[in-house]
Amino acid sequence: MKKAIVYVNQFFGQIGGEEKAGAAPEIHEGQIGPAMQFAKELEDTEVTHTIICGDNYMGSNTDEAVQTILGMLEGKEMDIFLAGPAFQAGRYTVACGTICKAVKEKFGVPVVTSMNEETPGVDMFKKEMYILKGGNIASKMRQDVKAMANVANKLLKGEPVGDAETEGYFARGIRHQVWLEDGTPATVRMIDMLLKKLNGEPFKTELPMPKLDRVPIAPAIKDLPHAKIALLNTGGIVPVDNPDHIQSASATRWGRYNIADTEALKGGEYKTIHAGFDPAAADANPNVITPVDALKVLQKEGVFGSLHDYFYTTVGTGTTEAEARRMAKEIIPYLKEDGVDGVIMVST
Amino acid sequence: MKLTIGNFHVKDIVFGSELSFKDGVLTINKEEALAFIREDDRITEAELYIAKPGDKIRMCPVKEAIEPRCRLDGRGLFPGYTSEMAPAGDGVTYALKNCSVLVVGRHWGGFQDGIIDMSGEGQKYTYYGYLNNIVLVADTNEEFERHEQQKKNDALRRAGHKLAEFIGQCVKDLTPEDTEVYELGQMIKRGAEVEKLPSVVYVMQPQSQMEEMGYNDLVYGWDMNHFVPTVMHPNEVLDGALVSGSFMPVSSKWSTYDFQNCPSIKALYAEHGKTINFLGVIMSNLNVALEQKERSALFVAQIAKSLGADGAVLAEEGYGNPDADFVGCYVALEDAGVKVVGVTNECTGRDGQSQPLVTLDEKCDAIVSCGNVSELIELPPMETVLGELDALKRDGLSGGWADDELLGPSVRADGSIIMENNSMFCGDQVIGWSPKTMKEF
Amino acid sequence: MVKEVEKAGFPIVQMCNLIPVAKTVGSNRIVPTISIPYPLGDPGTSKEDQWKLRYHRTKVAVESLGIDIKEQTVFKV
Repeated sequence: MKKAIVYVNQFFGQIGGEEKAGAAPEIHEGQIGPAMQFAKELEDTEVTHTIICGDNYMGSNTDEAVQTILGMLEGKEMDIFLAGPAFQAGRYTVACGTICKAVKEKFGVPVVTSMNEETPGVDMFKKEMYILKGGNIASKMRQDVKAMANVANKLLKGEPVGDAETEGYFARGIRHQVWLEDGTPATVRMIDMLLKKLNGEPFKTELPMPKLDRVPIAPAIKDLPHAKIALLNTGGIVPVDNPDHIQSASATRWGRYNIADTEALKGGEYKTIHAGFDPAAADANPNVITPVDALKVLQKEGVFGSLHDYFYTTVGTGTTEAEARRMAKEIIPYLKEDGVDGVIMVST
Repeated sequence: MKLTIGNFHVKDIVFGSELSFKDGVLTINKEEALAFIREDDRITEAELYIAKPGDKIRMCPVKEAIEPRCRLDGRGLFPGYTSEMAPAGDGVTYALKNCSVLVVGRHWGGFQDGIIDMSGEGQKYTYYGYLNNIVLVADTNEEFERHEQQKKNDALRRAGHKLAEFIGQCVKDLTPEDTEVYELGQMIKRGAEVEKLPSVVYVMQPQSQMEEMGYNDLVYGWDMNHFVPTVMHPNEVLDGALVSGSFMPVSSKWSTYDFQNCPSIKALYAEHGKTINFLGVIMSNLNVALEQKERSALFVAQIAKSLGADGAVLAEEGYGNPDADFVGCYVALEDAGVKVVGVTNECTGRDGQSQPLVTLDEKCDAIVSCGNVSELIELPPMETVLGELDALKRDGLSGGWADDELLGPSVRADGSIIMENNSMFCGDQVIGWSPKTMKEF
Repeated sequence: MVKEVEKAGFPIVQMCNLIPVAKTVGSNRIVPTISIPYPLGDPGTSKEDQWKLRYHRTKVAVESLGIDIKEQTVFKV
């Protein structure tokens, strides 16, 4: 028999309404409120404890509340942690997300919650966990618990959880290929979408355009003639023996190569290992991707102060954003340590 | 133009004394066929195999697929490439259906080559896992590219095209079991009944990004890197005017078989006169430099507008920077007032969390998505391997690797493999067959 | 990668050919290059022309790091 623990707020924990929203966390053996229905819906799983915490307490004393609850869970057998459903109660949704995230990080167990799409908890936590799309009022309790239990049962049995639309959870920013059950080929989907679009009827794209992610503009270098510049590239320029074994596509590795005493990169000493384009030009003259020759001259002319002793290389093609982020984070400390002021990135 | 395709449905393939087709059984005289292949003195080693659905066969590195056919007027199958220049798209061709000639390297593979499994979990990843295949496994004396990651594969690919033509001859004097007719006249003055329907063009972006000749898709033998978009009759595509190239991770590629059977063209034909007025094909390409991408998009939008297209279906043979051609062309068409449906695959990474296309635009509101090139795939060993499985980890195939800290090598000692979808032979089927889509998790 | 470096507080300029890609990714300083395989020197032109082009565009990139910008900017070359 697997074990589950359920988190609810003061209202669903039957302590009281708004006047009890400041209540500190408490843990009870057995099932209170929604936990009773979870006990019915979960397969081969016992709901051993119910944790109750006031929404205001969790909101105003977050760290303390989280620490207290994690302490309560310490040493307890637990295969899954469930919070809510939180419906359209704003503070409750944030509380559910907060505690689920903490429990998942600390104990490594799967967590599931539920909230209405109009609540702040959704955007804050949807990438971190399964959040079922919940109703707006508590009368949806039965169906929201059922939807949570449906996903929870799969997690408990180690079965794959289906896609967001089928299972009814908020998409987590993860896209994978799936085989359509009825095998409908692309042509049929294409004709269907085409006719609807031509006839002004609603249609549904299979690739909704994601929102673009922006970073604030870093301030300009104030004193360029004394600034230190570093050169990075995703064009795969490496010494000919590729000492860091950087992959020619879907790269997970990067390298840095000393150019302190190099006036220009020479063909035969450096080459590109990038597989996404014709390498002939860059193999013959690597400076066409990593313009070390031009930078050395510009430095001598006083356009900028000095060049960081190393240039940095990886391969851009097919490389995931997560890998690119990680590699950048590994490179940044070297730049900081050497007091680099600005960076040139050449992408192919 | 009117193209009649007479179909002969291949239910089985066997080796025997004489090249023939009878009662659904294709018989090939192996020695005769191999002798024909060896006429090209670049071929140093060649063997033929049969691979049918359910067989415990894995093929690697697969380079090309061609449908065996025979033109009744004696014209070659691929004008301007393996035969003299001649118009394609009119007349009668006979086709051996449910059947393809596959070309597999005996040893050496490259970035653009792939895998096909004929049974088990891996079968569903390619269209060819469900066809009766004649498999040419061969090596060549093309020393200059033996250890290159990018290979032209010229001798092997040509051998495949010629072999498909050679085998197709066996139905020349027979009567087809059924026929398909593709007939589409001039674009204008088609009559009120048809012209009241919304008019639609199919915009194809075949792979043409290598600046050195010999790697790209060909149109009548012409390298499509040296090409600006033009109007083509859909029948030309179905009748051998287009030949697949040897560049791009292979799950995104369109084989010559894919062009010969282009399901999107067939689907648009099926709607013609009923729900749409299918004008024809605008043949574009894929480019490297931004200026070239913009130029092609500008040509396509102008042609579509001049033809009076209300709608367009746009498909790209690639991912990564070709997405910039795809999105650029999509936006140019929408800006010209043409309603577009795009067909593509995505690259969301092994974790599914990367940006799906390298460029995005909110005008791309109708897309059919056919798969994730970087999906991780693990498959058990297969009883028989045709070719050399080690190529997957050794030769820089786009979906394979020599070693990885977490995953180990792509090919393990027991013959099991772990790879990215990237190396599934023409696996994403953006040409129109794809039974896959992308879902949010 | 560009975004991570910028997040860490370094001004960063991306030199690339596919401006729409850099814009989509969210690079703030962008300097165009001439192609993907040879961003900074067309092998079809003379060595001197290649050098001039490379020197000029690299200079624009270096100088862009010293220019305050308010929004995503593609620098003219």
